[in-house]
Amino acid sequence: MARPDTTIVSPDAPPVQRNWWAYLVILAVCVVNFLPYLWMVMTGFMDNATATQPTPQWVFSPSIDAFRFLIFEKEIMRNFVNSLVVSLASTFFSVTLGMFCAYAIARYDFPGRDDVSFWVLTNRMMPPVAVLIPIFVTFQTLRLLDTLLGLIILYTAMQLPFVVWMLTGYFRDIPRRYEESAMVDGDTWFQAFRKVTLPLMMPSISATAIFVMILSWNEFAFATFLTSTQAKTLPPAIMAYSIGANISWNVLGAAVVLITAPLILFVLIVQRQLISGLSQGVVRK
Amino acid sequence: MADLRIENLVKRFGNFTAVDGVDMTVSNGEFVFLLGPSGCGKTTTLRMIAGLEMSTGGRIEIGGRNVTYLRPRYRNVGMVFQDYGLYRHMTVFGNIAYPLKVRSLPKAVIAEKVNAVAGTMQISDVLKRKPDELTAGQLQRVAIARMLVRDADLFLMDEPMSHLDAQLRGHMRAELKHIQKSIGVTTIFVTHDQLEAMTMADRIIVMRDGRMLQFASPLEIFERPADEFVATFVGEPQMNVMDATLRRSEKGLVADAGPFVVPLDEAWAGANGLGRREGTQVRLGIRPEHIALAPAMDREHGIAAELYSFEPTGAENLYVLKAGGIEVITRNSTTATAGLGKREGTSLAMRFDPNWIYLFDPEDGRTIAFAAASRIARRAAA
Repeated sequence: MARPDTTIVSPDAPPVQRNWWAYLVILAVCVVNFLPYLWMVMTGFMDNATATQPTPQWVFSPSIDAFRFLIFEKEIMRNFVNSLVVSLASTFFSVTLGMFCAYAIARYDFPGRDDVSFWVLTNRMMPPVAVLIPIFVTFQTLRLLDTLLGLIILYTAMQLPFVVWMLTGYFRDIPRRYEESAMVDGDTWFQAFRKVTLPLMMPSISATAIFVMILSWNEFAFATFLTSTQAKTLPPAIMAYSIGANISWNVLGAAVVLITAPLILFVLIVQRQLISGLSQGVVRK
Repeated sequence: MADLRIENLVKRFGNFTAVDGVDMTVSNGEFVFLLGPSGCGKTTTLRMIAGLEMSTGGRIEIGGRNVTYLRPRYRNVGMVFQDYGLYRHMTVFGNIAYPLKVRSLPKAVIAEKVNAVAGTMQISDVLKRKPDELTAGQLQRVAIARMLVRDADLFLMDEPMSHLDAQLRGHMRAELKHIQKSIGVTTIFVTHDQLEAMTMADRIIVMRDGRMLQFASPLEIFERPADEFVATFVGEPQMNVMDATLRRSEKGLVADAGPFVVPLDEAWAGANGLGRREGTQVRLGIRPEHIALAPAMDREHGIAAELYSFEPTGAENLYVLKAGGIEVITRNSTTATAGLGKREGTSLAMRFDPNWIYLFDPEDGRTIAFAAASRIARRAAA
C-alpha cells in the first residue's frame, strides 16, 4: 500500500517569547538596588543643612563641602592610598602564589593532594573574625600592627585559598597536551607554563584577580582592629563618620562616593574581561 | 634522522603495568605503527619515547644516543597529538614557528622554513588565522607542519587522524605516507585503526595488555598472524574463529566444529604436524573472503547455513550466516553473489577454502598452523 503523496511542510517555528514582565522584574531589582545608592551619592553633594532636613530633598544646589572637608581637613586620601596599596599588593601576591599552588594541585598527583584541596576550601568557611584576637597578638609580637606590610601579608593569606580554589578548576580545563607539545618542541617546563599555559589562563586569572581586589578593597574587620593611624584603610576610616550622636550625613555620603567610585569604575572597565574569564571553560568546542 | 632502538621497556603506574617489556629496533626512515585496542600501552610507549612519561625500566636509544632519562627537549623528536595540541592564542604561523622560536633561530630563517613547510602542507593561505578558525583537516595539517618544520630525529604521531571524517582520513593517509617517504624521517605512529596501519606502515607492532604480540610487515601480520588476537584484530570484517575438534574421518583429517565439519588439506596437516593433535580442541579461523557461497549444498559447498543478515557494501556483499548457532561472516564480490538470496532466513551453503584455514591454540591463542596459501605468498614475496 503506497502512502499518498503529501507535500512535506515543516512546522512553524515556535512563537518568539516576549517576556515583557522580565523587564519589569529587572527594573524593580534595579530600583531597589540603586535608589539607596543614588540617595547616598546625592547626600554627598548636599550641604550639611540640606542633608539633615527631616523631609528628603530631591532638588538642591550641589556643593562639594563634604568632599573638601574629607580631603583637606581629614586627609582621607591617605587612607585611600593605603587601601590602594594594600589591595593591589595583596592581589598581586595572592594571585601569583595561588597560581602556582593551583597549577600543582591541578596537574600533579602528590600524597595528600586531596587533603590540601579540602583544607583550602574549608579555610574559607571559618568566619575570619574568629581568629582576630590570635592574629592581633601575633601582629603585636611581630610589630606588624598598623603597618601596610602587615595588612598585605594578612590579606594575601586570606585570599590565597580563594585564588587556589578558583584557578585549580580553570587549570584543569586546559589540556595538558599544550604543555607537553611545547616541551617536546624544546621548552623547559617553566617556559611551557609561561608561554603556553599562562596566556590561555589570562582571562581566568584576571577575573580571579578582580574578585580578590574587590574583596581586599572592602575588607573591614581586620583593618579596623589592626590599624590605627598609619595604615588605616578606607573602610574603617569611613566607619568613623557613621558613629556618634551627630552624624554629618553629607560627609558620610561623600565618603561612600570616595570608597565606591573607584570600584564601580574599575568593574565597568573590566566587566567584559570579568565575564569572559568567569565563563571560560564553560563553553567548549 | 636516526634509527630507534628500544630494549625491554617497562612502565608501571602503581600496581598496574601499562607497558611490559617492549623491544623494537626501527631502522632509519622506517614508518612503524603501534597498533592495538585502547589501553594496550601503545600511547604510553610513544609518550616514553617522547620523554613525556619516564620509563620504569628499559632503555631507549635514538640514533645511538641513550635518551631513556632525558627530558623531552633534549630528545629532538617531533610529535603530533591526538587533539593536535595547537596553541589557541597563537596564529597558525606562530604555532608552526614555535619550535623554531624556542631554539632562537633568526626571524628570517624561521619565516623561510615556516613558509616552505606551509607550502608542502598546503596551508599557506591560513597562516594568519587562529586555530579556532580552521577546519579539522587544516588543524591536522598545521599540527603535522609544526612537526615537520624542525629537523627532528624522530617523528611521533599519536592517533592524529581520529578526529577526521572518513573521507578526509582516506585522503590524509595517502598524503602522510607520501610525505613520510619523501622526507624519510623515522616515524612511529600510534593507532587503533587497523586500516590505517595496514595501508601506511612499513612494519606494524601489534600490542595488547602492554605486551608486543607481533612486529612484522602489514602483509605478514595479515597472512601470518602470531596469534588469534592479531588475526581477529587485523582485517575487516574480522576473521571468523570457532571452536573445533580435530578428528579423523573417512575424508581424512577434519575439524569438527559441532554443527558442521570442515575438511582439512592433507599435505598442510602433515606439514604442521596436526596428526599429533588428533582428538584435541583447537580454534579454527578463516577470513570472510575465503568462504565461498552457493545457493544449495553440493559436493564442494558442504556446510549448510541460514542467512542472518545481508550487508551490501557496493563492490562487495557481506553475508552474515548462522550455521547451527555458529555465526560466520563472509565477504564476496557483488557479481559472485548476484544469484544468491538476500532475504533473512534464506538457506545457503558455504565452503571454507582449505588453503586459507588457520588453527590457533585454545589455551594461549598462539597460531598452530598458518594457512597453506600464506606460505606460498610468503615465499613469493621473499
